[in-house]
Amino acid sequence: MQGIVTGASRGLGLALTRALVERGWQLVVDARDGAALERAVAGLEGVVGLAGDVADPEHRRRLVEAAGEPIDLLVNNASLLGPTPLPALAAYPLEELRRVYEVNVFAPLALAQLVLSRSAETARIVNVSSDAAVEAYEGWGGYGSSKAALAQITAILGAENPGLRAYAVDPGDMRTQMQQDAFPGEDISDRPPPEESVPGLLALVEGNLPSGAYRARELVRAPA
Amino acid sequence: MSAPAFDLPARLEAREPGEARGLARDDVRLLVANRLDGKVVHSRFRDLPQFLAPGDLLVVNTSATLPAALPATRADGTALELRLSTPAPGRDPERFWIVELRSGDALFAAVEVAERLALPGNATVRILAPYAGVRLWLARLDLPQPLGAYLSEHGHPIRYRYVARSWPLSVYQNVYAVEPGSAEMASAGRPFTTELITRLVAGGVLVTPVTLHTGVSSQERHERPYPERYRVPEQTARLVNAVRAWGGRVIATGTTVVRALETVARPDGSVTAGAGWTNLVVTPERGLWTINGLLTGLHESESSHLDLLRAATGEELLARSYGEAIDRGYRWHEFGDSQLILGVKEQG
Repeated sequence: MQGIVTGASRGLGLALTRALVERGWQLVVDARDGAALERAVAGLEGVVGLAGDVADPEHRRRLVEAAGEPIDLLVNNASLLGPTPLPALAAYPLEELRRVYEVNVFAPLALAQLVLSRSAETARIVNVSSDAAVEAYEGWGGYGSSKAALAQITAILGAENPGLRAYAVDPGDMRTQMQQDAFPGEDISDRPPPEESVPGLLALVEGNLPSGAYRARELVRAPA
Repeated sequence: MSAPAFDLPARLEAREPGEARGLARDDVRLLVANRLDGKVVHSRFRDLPQFLAPGDLLVVNTSATLPAALPATRADGTALELRLSTPAPGRDPERFWIVELRSGDALFAAVEVAERLALPGNATVRILAPYAGVRLWLARLDLPQPLGAYLSEHGHPIRYRYVARSWPLSVYQNVYAVEPGSAEMASAGRPFTTELITRLVAGGVLVTPVTLHTGVSSQERHERPYPERYRVPEQTARLVNAVRAWGGRVIATGTTVVRALETVARPDGSVTAGAGWTNLVVTPERGLWTINGLLTGLHESESSHLDLLRAATGEELLARSYGEAIDRGYRWHEFGDSQLILGVKEQG
């Protein structure tokens, strides 16, 4: 089984990559920071790291080509939080918003298109979403609306492609760099590590749930 | 002297196979280092039967060498050499390979991801991603015919600068090689002749196969070996266990056999059958669990093989035997002389 995980140099992407490797997956993963990516994938058997920005069309083509054929899995995990501290929509710089949408909406769809053109009958697409896609949190208008768009794109991809399993999954709050960036100066050590969201993602990757939106920690409850 | 650091004088590099001078393969020298008594003895490979006893088990690697080097041309006309190392784990082994690129005898790292290079016979190779650092690449081969047939027609054996000219693939095959798959020869077995193996078998020494398909060697830098494909068949595992039970010695022919056997070994020295990819790296800290002896060539001081050798021989004896080998003009590399290390396991 082979696939692509974006944004794999740290956080949820790295935790998921490690778990998939243990289960025998062959993965092509990416991150913008090449050195961090190389450190992250060193020693992970069957993982090829390709540094680059998912917003770059050429990088996306390279990812899909390196992943081989068929592609069994695409995990769109790379995301951009946008400017911090998180600005209110009334003052949100539109150029920054465009960039957030490039990474969080257009890039995942573009990768999905490439995967569908090769492996429409077998592929699973897991788009990492957020509760900010449905809740109206102040300051989260840029990121949250981009994730809402991604969730709806996921749902419609599923409706249009019966052979495809397309999931939008909310991993829940996690102790990650993105969470720290969203709450600068706050102590986020009460958030669970990203590893706790991985079993839920694996349930989507390996199970046979219908396309749709899921919350990772409700799919699999960790034993008490 | 410290064993892992020595400069190999060029005069000690074996630049051609003995056959070129009309010699038999087993006409190379054999240094026997015994860990039990610390003695170093100088002999000849054809006298190997003197050092083995009935009931000892010689384990050989029956992987055959591929003509794994191909001329490759960049779009700007630059001529390079493409070297196939191992199939990409988990992918179609006809098409996806881990490769190295060379310019002359030097590594060539300036290729770009997504670059396509021309190969002979209307074939191409596409560089897909860096693999394990800057030296190796994941690549896709687009060939007009099956890979084995294509390599037979267009490939040649990998050769390093100390070998002055090209030699036919047959020079790079052990007499017992049956299954093509190695990028570079498992050269510890090269001095064996069918006649010598017959004498060993007639003397009661057992011979049994494993397979380990080698990737390109990593002697340029201090690099860990990467995953390689291996297979230890059921009857070989049973033989190893039986020989150990009656007090015979398990002698590995080459570091490739050590890697395969130690991959399926338990700390008590028993082994099970197994096959797949191995990541095992033998170091003095890890130690050797199942082999009692090692028949091998002479290794350069920077090669990861030397770590394994330190584990097998011990620092002092390794330093002394390499010192004597250098003083007496032993030859290094795949066409060179051999050494037999005994008493490996007994030292713990």
